[in-house]
Amino acid sequence: MHRFVNHAVLLFAAGMLLGPSARAADGEQLFKFYCAQCHGLQGKGDGPNITEGFPVEPRNFTKTDEMNKLSDADIRNVIQDGGPSASKSPMMPPWGKSLAKDDVDALVKHLRVLCKCKGKQ
Amino acid sequence: MVIPKIKLAMPEKIYRFGSSDEESAKERYMKHTTLSATLLAILIMAASGAVRADAAAGGKLFQAKKCQECHYTSGPAKEKTIADQLAKKGPELWYAGSKFQKEWLGKWLQDPKPIRSLKYNSLTEKNAGNHPKLAAPDAVAMTDFLMSLTSKEVKEGVIKPNASPKGRLIFTKNMPCSGCHQFPGKGFLGGTNGPSLVNAGERLNPDWVFAYLKDGSKTFKPVRQMPVFAGLMNEQDMQAVAEFIATFKK
Repeated sequence: MHRFVNHAVLLFAAGMLLGPSARAADGEQLFKFYCAQCHGLQGKGDGPNITEGFPVEPRNFTKTDEMNKLSDADIRNVIQDGGPSASKSPMMPPWGKSLAKDDVDALVKHLRVLCKCKGKQ
Repeated sequence: MVIPKIKLAMPEKIYRFGSSDEESAKERYMKHTTLSATLLAILIMAASGAVRADAAAGGKLFQAKKCQECHYTSGPAKEKTIADQLAKKGPELWYAGSKFQKEWLGKWLQDPKPIRSLKYNSLTEKNAGNHPKLAAPDAVAMTDFLMSLTSKEVKEGVIKPNASPKGRLIFTKNMPCSGCHQFPGKGFLGGTNGPSLVNAGERLNPDWVFAYLKDGSKTFKPVRQMPVFAGLMNEQDMQAVAEFIATFKK
């Protein structure tokens, strides 16, 4: 019985320690909240902001060939520092002050799901 | 508007002071001045009391109309996660008195036209445009209530409308503001996800716009779709943008 209680306490403590990673950033949720207004809920570059005259075509993340040309670091940089950091449009905002590093990593992972690609290694 | 009943007739005792032959002109002047100041103070107190009374009536109306089902009115901000933000049915109003212009708010409550073309928190559903309407007297009380909800983070009287080339350049070209916010002009008129700024010069307190930009996501909206620009733009540039937005009229 004592052993059982000890195990339970240990498991509970381990659970507490693992807590933060168990609450890992949800890439899909982040994408739908911060990115989908321009890039679309499915990542096809067709969000509700893209109306007639929108000055740029947001990237379609389902285009495997295009997305394979980018490394994870390339994507991470554009999310953090915005379009102009990669000679792209300022319509892509810099999210570096809005998102935690874990959030950005989760978004990169989600884009890799959308493109079904691993990107430039 | 509750009109306070003020008894303006002067008490006999005080009135007689001014008519005494024994008093010097200076004394009479002093007493008249004191009397005028007292009356003025009474009037001011009565007037502010009337506003307080209307704000209280508006607060009761807010509950009676069940506005709190979609809007919360006590700060500080409650949202901590994206799920918290998505659970809300409408914008928080705990700093409404700092955010809105009173005249606009009073009119809008009587004829609420959509500010965002999409439903709150949705990227797919249209705004049904079915916000409840208030009759004029109720709108006055509700406006007084909402205007009493202010934030100390907003410094009043700093931002004046100014369509400077700098503000225009930042808003339309250098920064992604127009990606989500509609604005008045020609050609590309802005994205539709964010609240429309087409009549922001009438709707929003320009000092709040500046505070909202400067504050990042600390005070007003801890979980928001708008990027944090604090630390990326300097205050002069934020001021120029706020001044430019303040010129937006239909």
